[in-house]
Amino acid sequence: MYNVLFVYLAMAVLISIDTIRRDRIQKGKDQERYVQERTLLGQKTKRVLLELKNLTITFGGVTALNAVNLKIYQGEILALIGPNGAGKTTVFNVVTGVYRATSGEVLLNEQSLDGMKRHHITKIGIARTFQNIRLFGDMTALENVITGTDVHKRSGLLGGLFGMPRARREEKAGRVKAHEILQFIGIDEYSDRLARNLPYGVQRRLEIARALGTNPQLLLLDEPAAGFNPAEKVELANTIKKIRDAGYTVLLIEHDMSLIMGISDRVAVLDFGQKIADDLPSVVQNDKRVIEAYLGVPADAS
Amino acid sequence: MKLLNRLREGNLRDWGASFWEQSSPTKRKVIATSLIGFAALAPFMGFGLLDTPVSDYGAVLVYPVGMFILMALGLNIVVGKSGLLDLGYVAFFAIGAYTMAILGTRTSLNTWEIMPIGIALAMLAGLILGLPALRLRGDYLAIVTLGFGEIVRISALNTREIGGPNGIANVPVPPSIGPIKFSLNDQKAFFWVVLIMILLTIWMIRRLSVRRAGRAWEAIRQDEDVAELMGVHTLKYKLWSFSLGAAVGGAAGVLYASKTLFIAPEMFTLNVSILILACVVFGGMGNIWGVVLGAAILAYLPERIRFISDARLLVFGLALVITMNFRPDGLLPRKKREKAIVKSTQDGI
Ligand SMILES: Nc1ncnc2c1ncn2[C@@H]1O[C@H](COP(=O)(O)OP(=O)(O)O)[C@@H](O)[C@H]1O
Ligand SMILES: [Mg+2]
Repeated sequence: MYNVLFVYLAMAVLISIDTIRRDRIQKGKDQERYVQERTLLGQKTKRVLLELKNLTITFGGVTALNAVNLKIYQGEILALIGPNGAGKTTVFNVVTGVYRATSGEVLLNEQSLDGMKRHHITKIGIARTFQNIRLFGDMTALENVITGTDVHKRSGLLGGLFGMPRARREEKAGRVKAHEILQFIGIDEYSDRLARNLPYGVQRRLEIARALGTNPQLLLLDEPAAGFNPAEKVELANTIKKIRDAGYTVLLIEHDMSLIMGISDRVAVLDFGQKIADDLPSVVQNDKRVIEAYLGVPADAS
Repeated sequence: MKLLNRLREGNLRDWGASFWEQSSPTKRKVIATSLIGFAALAPFMGFGLLDTPVSDYGAVLVYPVGMFILMALGLNIVVGKSGLLDLGYVAFFAIGAYTMAILGTRTSLNTWEIMPIGIALAMLAGLILGLPALRLRGDYLAIVTLGFGEIVRISALNTREIGGPNGIANVPVPPSIGPIKFSLNDQKAFFWVVLIMILLTIWMIRRLSVRRAGRAWEAIRQDEDVAELMGVHTLKYKLWSFSLGAAVGGAAGVLYASKTLFIAPEMFTLNVSILILACVVFGGMGNIWGVVLGAAILAYLPERIRFISDARLLVFGLALVITMNFRPDGLLPRKKREKAIVKSTQDGI
């Protein structure tokens, strides 16, 4: 009697373990297929949002970027990785108008950004964060984000001074939107605190919130997880995914491989100012040149 | 020692701000009205006690005290709010004064009609100076503005049509407004006009501070590169800051000329720019009440200690150095407190 029961139980356990295992495999396969489909679909049907064409920039004798070609598709997370000094931040600086390219160009929605003023580039849809936090420290968190929202306001100084209806309306709307963004990023509880008094992690997130305040098409994140512990990194990864799922396109510079592999749709690799790879995360991870670049083996020595 | 530390770290401004924030709208109205009323009655108070050796208290209240407060508030928009170091602020004061003197003596326009013209010309000068100069930063901007101040003075000095070194005399006083008469023997009316101009300037600064323009200035002051990357049209807002500051300086100039009756280039030297800047820094850059307090003290003190004549500026400078040592951010520094903290102490009570 007990024997039968025991066999029954054992079988039940075995079957359920097997189902769970098979489920997992299936899920993994689904995930892979999903990513592949998403990317393929992206390349076929989705618009190119930003394109770097043969971008070269030199500082004196240093070639920080050397004929870099890169496409960023609408709605994806593209990770930009590479050793220190590879030129990643320089890409951000050229795209946002901080540096002028020596040759080549940057196109947003097929429109050249060449010679455009920095604030105008922000206005047409590119916003960034900074590798070293550069918040407006004497403003509250909320004011930082509202400053971002100001870029699309149509009322100017006089409207604000004389309390014109549109200025009031826009002021109110900006405040509401800033709160929404802070909530979305999960730091609304800090909205009335001065930025410089905020904990480090919150400051990093506030930089993202301020950039989102400008309502960008393309969000550039420069090492947003620098100095984070593993738990914070996971939380940030979720936030970045949430940002993408809300419709923003994200170009992400990051060093943490597990974070990158977890959330990127594609990965581009820079080394000494040259793009050496640009593919799905799983492909890039096993690319010989990428591994060499990271291990520091000269390409011609192997 | 303890007292010194308290003096150094205490922030009366934070206390005032939290008191203000916790007050109900009606309470605020009562406080504001009574403060303004008190200020308006200032010429009737003080009597002999506050008289200075040279002029009586009522006159000192208009110039230098009232005028200095007005100009310091104007310069505060430029230096304190937007972080642009302007060492040629006197130029706008001079342009306002000369506009009044020229038009007042050669046309039949009166002070009130010339006022908007003076303001407009000063703003225009601000734009003309700002357009090229505001592309520069920090020290370079300071040097260019300093040069501008000198250019304006030297041009006046060398233009015979406007009196050259002799300046312009017989500038008319403002026509009376109803029963209020403007005369040099009783300067109450002048004081009330200065007071109204000060209140308008304060209103303007307070209003703009919590609007797009104020945020833009604040962002520019803290990190101009980042401000621009966050979409702030930095040149535009720097120009605004410059020309609003110039407008206040120009308005002060018009009234000044109409009060002293005589102006000459030597009244508009670099010293004036420096002194106004000292008022801003001494009182607390970027904070309206600090600037008002600083300007009032720095304007009144030298008049009061005139009896030690030559040693006057020495004593004055020494007092400045000592104060700045104990309170490097000025008497009433810009906001340090956080609303959240104010709130939490409120909850705790
Ligand atoms: N303003 C500059 N002047 C001179 N060299 C620069 C400048 N900006 C970047 N570089 C150089 O360009 C290279 C790439 O730098 P960067 O883009 O910051 O690298 P990373 O990939 O670590 O972000 C480095 O060799 C750096 O020294
Ligand atoms: Mg970098």
